Amino acid sequence: MIAPELKQKLSAIVGAEDVTEDEGVLSSWRSGGAVAGGEPAALVRPSSTAEVRALLKLAREEKLNLVFSSSAPPRLRGDSVPAGEGIMVDMSKMDRIVRLDRRNKVALIEPGVTFERLIPEADAAGLKVLMPLRPKRGKSVLASALEREPIIIPKYHWDMTDPMLCTELVFGSGDLFRTGSAAGPGSLEQQWAAGGAQKNPMGPAQTDFVRVVQGAQGTMAAVTWCTLKLEVKPTIHRIWFVPDRKLSRLSEFTYRSLRPKLADEWLILNSYALAALISEKGGEEVDALAQRQAPWTAVYGVSGYEYLPQERVAYQERDLARHAQAAGVVPSPEVAGCSWKGMERILSSPSPEPYYKTAPRGDFLDLFFLSTLDRVPAFLEIMEAEAERFSYPAQRIGAYIQPIQQGRNVHVEFTLYFRPADREMAQALFLSASRALSEAGAFFSRPYGPWAELAYARCPDTVAALRKVKAILDPDHVLNRGKLCFEAREVV
Amino acid sequence: MSETAAKTFGTISEEAYRDLEEAVGPENASREPGVLDGYAWQPTNNDHPTERWVKRPVAVVLPGSTAEVQAVVRACNRHGLKFKAFSTGWGVWCGPTYDNVVQVDLRRMNRILEIDEKNMYAVVEPYAIAAQIQAEVMKKGLNLHIHGSGPNCSPLASATSGWGVGHDSIYMSYSPRNVLGAEWVLPDGEVLRLGAPGSGLGWFSGDGPGPSLRGVMRGSAGALSGLGIFTKCALKLYNWPGPPRIETEGCLLDARSEIPENMGFYLCAFPDRASFLEAVLKMGEAEIGYNALRTATAAYLNVMTPRLFKRLTDTKAIRDLMGKTLEYTIMMVLAANSREELDYQAGSLLSIVEDAGGIALDMSTQKPFVRMALMGFVRATIPALVFRIGGSFNTALDRNDALDTQENWRDACLAIKEEWISKGGILDDMGDNPYYVPYENNMWAHCEVVYQFDHRKPEHRAALEPIFLDFTIAALEQCMEPMFSSDPRVRAIIGPLAGGFNRWQREVSKALDPGEAADSTLYCGEGAFDLSAVDGAKVKRLNELIEKLKPEA
Repeated sequence: MIAPELKQKLSAIVGAEDVTEDEGVLSSWRSGGAVAGGEPAALVRPSSTAEVRALLKLAREEKLNLVFSSSAPPRLRGDSVPAGEGIMVDMSKMDRIVRLDRRNKVALIEPGVTFERLIPEADAAGLKVLMPLRPKRGKSVLASALEREPIIIPKYHWDMTDPMLCTELVFGSGDLFRTGSAAGPGSLEQQWAAGGAQKNPMGPAQTDFVRVVQGAQGTMAAVTWCTLKLEVKPTIHRIWFVPDRKLSRLSEFTYRSLRPKLADEWLILNSYALAALISEKGGEEVDALAQRQAPWTAVYGVSGYEYLPQERVAYQERDLARHAQAAGVVPSPEVAGCSWKGMERILSSPSPEPYYKTAPRGDFLDLFFLSTLDRVPAFLEIMEAEAERFSYPAQRIGAYIQPIQQGRNVHVEFTLYFRPADREMAQALFLSASRALSEAGAFFSRPYGPWAELAYARCPDTVAALRKVKAILDPDHVLNRGKLCFEAREVV
Repeated sequence: MSETAAKTFGTISEEAYRDLEEAVGPENASREPGVLDGYAWQPTNNDHPTERWVKRPVAVVLPGSTAEVQAVVRACNRHGLKFKAFSTGWGVWCGPTYDNVVQVDLRRMNRILEIDEKNMYAVVEPYAIAAQIQAEVMKKGLNLHIHGSGPNCSPLASATSGWGVGHDSIYMSYSPRNVLGAEWVLPDGEVLRLGAPGSGLGWFSGDGPGPSLRGVMRGSAGALSGLGIFTKCALKLYNWPGPPRIETEGCLLDARSEIPENMGFYLCAFPDRASFLEAVLKMGEAEIGYNALRTATAAYLNVMTPRLFKRLTDTKAIRDLMGKTLEYTIMMVLAANSREELDYQAGSLLSIVEDAGGIALDMSTQKPFVRMALMGFVRATIPALVFRIGGSFNTALDRNDALDTQENWRDACLAIKEEWISKGGILDDMGDNPYYVPYENNMWAHCEVVYQFDHRKPEHRAALEPIFLDFTIAALEQCMEPMFSSDPRVRAIIGPLAGGFNRWQREVSKALDPGEAADSTLYCGEGAFDLSAVDGAKVKRLNELIEKLKPEA
């Protein structure tokens, strides 16, 4: 509950119909992932940048804690679960695809645009959205890029900002700022008239605030739109599976293949993660499917475009076959329970409802971090040992390895699938394994919830610098207080 | 010593100098006037109208380690001095802008610390030059992005502190996007390691945990030592399908290299702007190319045979031939891991060019040219020849963005250059002298336009500032925040029109440099153009544009 005066002030900004204290609406922000204890006091739905700025101004005056959120539930990471009490700012009403530019392969979108909406529109324009693996249906495309979720095509992941390009920000100070080539001079319309397409993510000048805002869990600025890099839709697209007993062989194959930028999609899954991904029924089918898979499977895509598509696919498949042979693995067009066409559908669309990771057991927790591919086996051993300590069956750990930055490092994701009644045990395993993995060198580059403490304990110099930057951009700590390494101050 | 250098001669206290000696060892510090003058002589890209000196440093130090850099920075803080660092020192921006500056010359820090072949990165120190790194990584089938200033320059400097475009950008991007981690001595002397190295976890990622401080380190341009000193950096490496060593005899224009297998060289020419742009976009979508450079045919002759070029440009027919017939050209270098891949790349290229109504000359049939030019493509050896025609040059940097904007910028700069060539303010290079490269499969592009001058000529010197103002006006006309906005005069005009980035940079500087120890003129200083001798119509247009482009309140 909030004070009537505050409700009146919020209503004056966004309209009374877009302010609510309805518990049914607020409840989804009480917990998410491994984070619990959120106390959302009210929710507002702005519909413009001007309203967002007005909210920030009010927040500074009233010492509010504003927590921005764009995606539909379930909350998977807990970044938008307030640390204590907070006013939720639901950005889903700002849902315009402002511009879809085929020539420059770029979209300008607002936070409320979901994958489900953008994919068909991009497709109609001959373009492809660069996606993470099977996002939830109501996932905001902007939020996904803002949180540096890994995309499944490593060759298009040139740098960590990709596929996000330019942004419009409202800092915690209330100041409006546009990043990259969108910064101006001139309005968007003036820039378009001059041929600009907001393609360059760097700048303006000697700043690169988009990097500061990415991965910040809404603690530095609100993002009111962004431009997003799209790629041309292939004219031919094939998916291959490479099942194998040994991760080491698949790693060798991956290193050999990604260096010359072969293939489009590229990911590695263990049997349970693959089964969870391809299962249509969930539940026990996942266990059964997992038993029919090889311990590890690499999945890759090969594409041909407008010019000489057959030749492109042919040389890529030949070169990949050579690398497969050298690594001692064999590509196949199918695995048990999934054809290459089926996997193509999975990789190019969001998850059905309910979210696919809930299908095996009803609940799950993701544990992910960055490392290099050659270090993954050591992390696996730790994860399995931790599972054993908690009597969690090792064969039910999902493992997903996503090469990023063109293969220079990997996103490693372990998923624990469990029944809701077992959450306490799973949470304990999750925390214990997180600690053990951190000690072994896992880099929690996106430190949600309990990982923040683990990650920032390792880098006091980074913490000191981040706090200085926070003091510039959000001097009154009105944005998502208590997250990352920023201490909670006053609450509502 | 020049008169100005003498006027700006600063002094350093005995105590402060002793601290510097202690920091780096007496043999690595100097306050000898002759040595200091060597550092104050900064002719490259120096557009000062009367001379080519910058402020003379009060001392120079050559640290050999991060700890020594820290000790120098702390000494500067203690004694009210400023520091200005450079690595390989290419350009006037490496020199001091205050009277009390300690020049930090990083040449002793020249090691390649690590090459991670599997995960494709190298960790280097500031004075590890591109040629040195490339020679080592090529042995492992890898390569690195080399920016246009050439192989004798520091990749760390461009990645952390400068700019960083190169004609391999189609395949290897832009220097700042190649950073996987950096070690940064902040202006207060503390060390900050960005990304995974900050957590002691290796050099594989430069972002996080949480917000990435790479966004404070730099933007599309670097802080040019205005925010501290970078002592280590992890750089991305890329596939190199050629041999471990390119056998080469001779150098530069006399070079004769063995041509690697699986490489192709095509000079593609198009009838007009639209067909050129269409083709370049399609090449990007076909994901072909290892090097791509659009420059004018005249520019090749200009740098390769300057005397002949001067004579030829007196002939109208030859001017037309070079300037108009081959106006829209791009040199495409292909490199592939297999014959089949090369066939695909070459076949796609030829089809794209044909569809666009252009012609593609297979230069690999011109063996002498390719053998000479190979290292120019692969090691970026040629751009430094731009000094040949007049001894100096400057460049109108753009704002990187969509390919169309770069063509607009080239057109605008060409018009400005033609005006000044006709007035005798710059050398006649036929005007059209772009350095145009697409990035990342032609996702976006860069076009800077080079103009050459002879600093010995008073009329050239007098033209430098008005030309620079013209480019600034052109940038405003095109809603561009140009990459030369590190210049205090430009920052003062464009900063308030582009989110007030000048204000935010001041805030960052204040937060990280409480002792004001960094020579930060090129990061947050602001100045004004001398408008006294500028055409009134231009001043009027400048003011109109500032008014028109003012952000809404």
